[in-house]
Amino acid sequence: MNRFIYLLKRLLLGIPVLLFGLTVTFLVLYLGPIDPVLAILGRDANPAAARQLEIALGIRYSDGSMVPLWIQYKNFLVDMVTFNFGTSWGVARNQPVMDLIIGRLPATLWLGFWSVVIALGFGVPIGLYAGLNSNTWGDYFASFGGIVWRAMPNFWLAVMLAGVLSAGGILSGYRDFLIKTDVIGTPDELQYLFSGIDVFPGIPILEYLWIPIPNLMPMAAAFKWILPAALVLGSASMGNEVRIGRTAVLESLNSEYIDTAKAKGVSTRRIITKHVGRNAVIPLLPVIMGEFYLLIGGSVLVESVFSINGLGNLFLRAAFAADIPVLMSLTFIFIVIQILFNTTQDILYTYIDPRITLADNNE
Amino acid sequence: MENADDLADRESDGLWSRVMTNPTPAARWAAVATVLLLLEFGAFAGGLLTILDAIVMGATALLDVVVGIFAPGLAQSIVDVQLAASTFIEGVRHAAESLPTLLSRDVIPNQGYQTQSGTWNGTFLGLSPAAAWALRLSLVLLYSLFAFYWLYKGWQLFRTHYRKADWTPRDDMVARLQNHSWGKFGIIVLVLFLTMSLFGSTMAPSTVDQNITSSYSHEIQYFSEESGQVETVTVGQANFNSKSKGAGDQNVGVMSYDQYDRFHPFGTLTNGRDLFTYMMGGAQITLMVAGIAIGLASLIAALLALVASYYTGVVDLSILTLADGVVSIPQLLLLILVSVVFQNHWLSSVLNGGLLLALIFGLTTWPFLWRSLRGPALQVAEEEWVDAAKSFGQRPTTTMRKHMLPYVLGYLLIYASMSVGGIIIGMASLSFLGNGLGITPPTPAWGRVISLGQPYVSTQSWHISLIPGVMIVILVTGANALGDGIRDAIDPESEGDSEEEAAAAGGGA
Repeated sequence: MNRFIYLLKRLLLGIPVLLFGLTVTFLVLYLGPIDPVLAILGRDANPAAARQLEIALGIRYSDGSMVPLWIQYKNFLVDMVTFNFGTSWGVARNQPVMDLIIGRLPATLWLGFWSVVIALGFGVPIGLYAGLNSNTWGDYFASFGGIVWRAMPNFWLAVMLAGVLSAGGILSGYRDFLIKTDVIGTPDELQYLFSGIDVFPGIPILEYLWIPIPNLMPMAAAFKWILPAALVLGSASMGNEVRIGRTAVLESLNSEYIDTAKAKGVSTRRIITKHVGRNAVIPLLPVIMGEFYLLIGGSVLVESVFSINGLGNLFLRAAFAADIPVLMSLTFIFIVIQILFNTTQDILYTYIDPRITLADNNE
Repeated sequence: MENADDLADRESDGLWSRVMTNPTPAARWAAVATVLLLLEFGAFAGGLLTILDAIVMGATALLDVVVGIFAPGLAQSIVDVQLAASTFIEGVRHAAESLPTLLSRDVIPNQGYQTQSGTWNGTFLGLSPAAAWALRLSLVLLYSLFAFYWLYKGWQLFRTHYRKADWTPRDDMVARLQNHSWGKFGIIVLVLFLTMSLFGSTMAPSTVDQNITSSYSHEIQYFSEESGQVETVTVGQANFNSKSKGAGDQNVGVMSYDQYDRFHPFGTLTNGRDLFTYMMGGAQITLMVAGIAIGLASLIAALLALVASYYTGVVDLSILTLADGVVSIPQLLLLILVSVVFQNHWLSSVLNGGLLLALIFGLTTWPFLWRSLRGPALQVAEEEWVDAAKSFGQRPTTTMRKHMLPYVLGYLLIYASMSVGGIIIGMASLSFLGNGLGITPPTPAWGRVISLGQPYVSTQSWHISLIPGVMIVILVTGANALGDGIRDAIDPESEGDSEEEAAAAGGGA
């Protein structure tokens, strides 16, 4: 089977998944006891205003009869798929949800990016080291550390780290180290990470194209600011990477092709990079891709402890404010990203491990 | 005909008759077991009835929600039946819990006051409260470890004296687990936490009821330095004056006494409550919710894994899509959504909100278990004996139960003990976020204490956030260690972790 057709098939399989996720969210929010009018207007709403609102929200027809649930459902699906997210009810009254999300996106992306990079940068090498030196004290230390590191709840780790980094804590010196930054809150530098060079000024549509130039000082400051939060957010993945990386190395070290390579006189360095490394990546791939899943849940907690104004925080505040449009849109976006990640993972598999055929990869 | 009779004869030759032919070892074992059970009957019955209550509530609640969509009137009558059943069980439970137990607080009291001469009044044998508490704690721990050992001993006895088969593959697994110190660490951790949830009120220096939920309806006596005599104060008032708030003299730290001569092994909270008592109460609700959730998830996962691997094809694909759909909504987000939506629903009052959490965790955790089970299930479905059973005309359900389930069960144990950590962490996260999420206050919840202590992490009241977190880490590590141990026992060839385990263990919080 051709890769393109395979990709198409995978994406088609994503449709029922998306539909299921959206339906569950719809059922929870619309059939549950949240009353939108109560959520928007408060308890002492004027009946006429309430009626107006119900019509505007698409719950009631202008002749006063209720809109059947399945029509609401259909409208909801169409709105979601056409990215018509509506306006917020509670978090930022009457502000378009799209603007809210785009406004919060940079903080979450910055945090998520570094949490993945840090987890990979430490987790994989430590795992490979533990596997290559199995049953030494270094291995025991790394493996045990990985297990405990993974068992630590994100929010607790965040509380502890934020505590010792804050004023009066053992590590409070961190904030004045090299560049003066805070660790709680959203770094202002996020807005100045890149400066743009317009490529086609004045030309319609093309004027939106610009070349990003990284600004090093704000980047360094924003990195230092976000580092503790990213370390916490990546903790579970890092523990997983250590454990799985170790096993993968052990398994490929015991395989016959390694013996063959050794017999042929291939250098140790080459064996490790070419044979062990490549085969160790296969079981690591789903763990790395799975980090995304951990990130979304984790970001709600970590952003809340470190007061970072990102998507996770937005979701939490929207949940407390019963802000259905924001909740719906965020869930929709998360589901779409999740499906795209899963598909990417399957496609990547076929490149890394040619033994995995395209035909029987529905597993 | 003769043959069939013979078979029937052997079948009727049950465990009972085997015990009857050689009763001495069984009688000896049963005598000790009876003494052990009688000593703490009240606590065991109480624990069992609480779980029974939750199951009744859970089953009827599901029924109620489903029926409620079609016929609200019928749903109401289900609620009535449920209420009656629950009240009855509650009554029996209270009766059971008031039964005297040997290792109870009344036998070894640790609350008293120190007179001017330095002697203690009201404590066990005049010991200091710390010593009395430590004595009671160690006795309870000894009791529970011994009871656990005795259960294991019972199985060994059964194996040597009464089992039909001399050897089963399971014996080797147990033997391998015995030599697996990491796995044994997991078992001990689990036994310890189970003990905390069953006997927490005896192990703690105070009870949840006295110290936390209704502190103003209990009184204690203390020796006042000012007036020079013994005075009485409500626990609530005493708590108010024993807060741990970081600055100045407002701190009752680890292993210290407060001004009312009460001993606090883990210090006090920001509102003066005893952290150790709080942790014991939290252990009970945590293990109960995690247990119900993982039980539900395992049930669904095993069922679907068997069905999917037996029928394969479209059935498999649709279950796959369903699992992907459930997983596509990030678990913590779904939990937050459902908790917020059901905040004022009666379902959120059962087990102080624990039942709702358990249901959501169960209904969202099964895809991870299922994914991990699917491989082994597909493998066993291709075995010759399954094929033979099929062509022999055995009913599919019987084939799955008798020929496939035993193989899958071991893997289920591995992945279930690895996923339970994620559930425990997820629960704590929700209680940490608060605002109506997680377990309803004032019922103790580990996550909530961490949130209480958040402003005091770098002060002298560091114990408030640190200790609950460390307890969670120990419990989760223990559960993972048990999973590792079972895996190595079942499949000694396997070399460490696989991606399935990461999928099962991934908590996301």
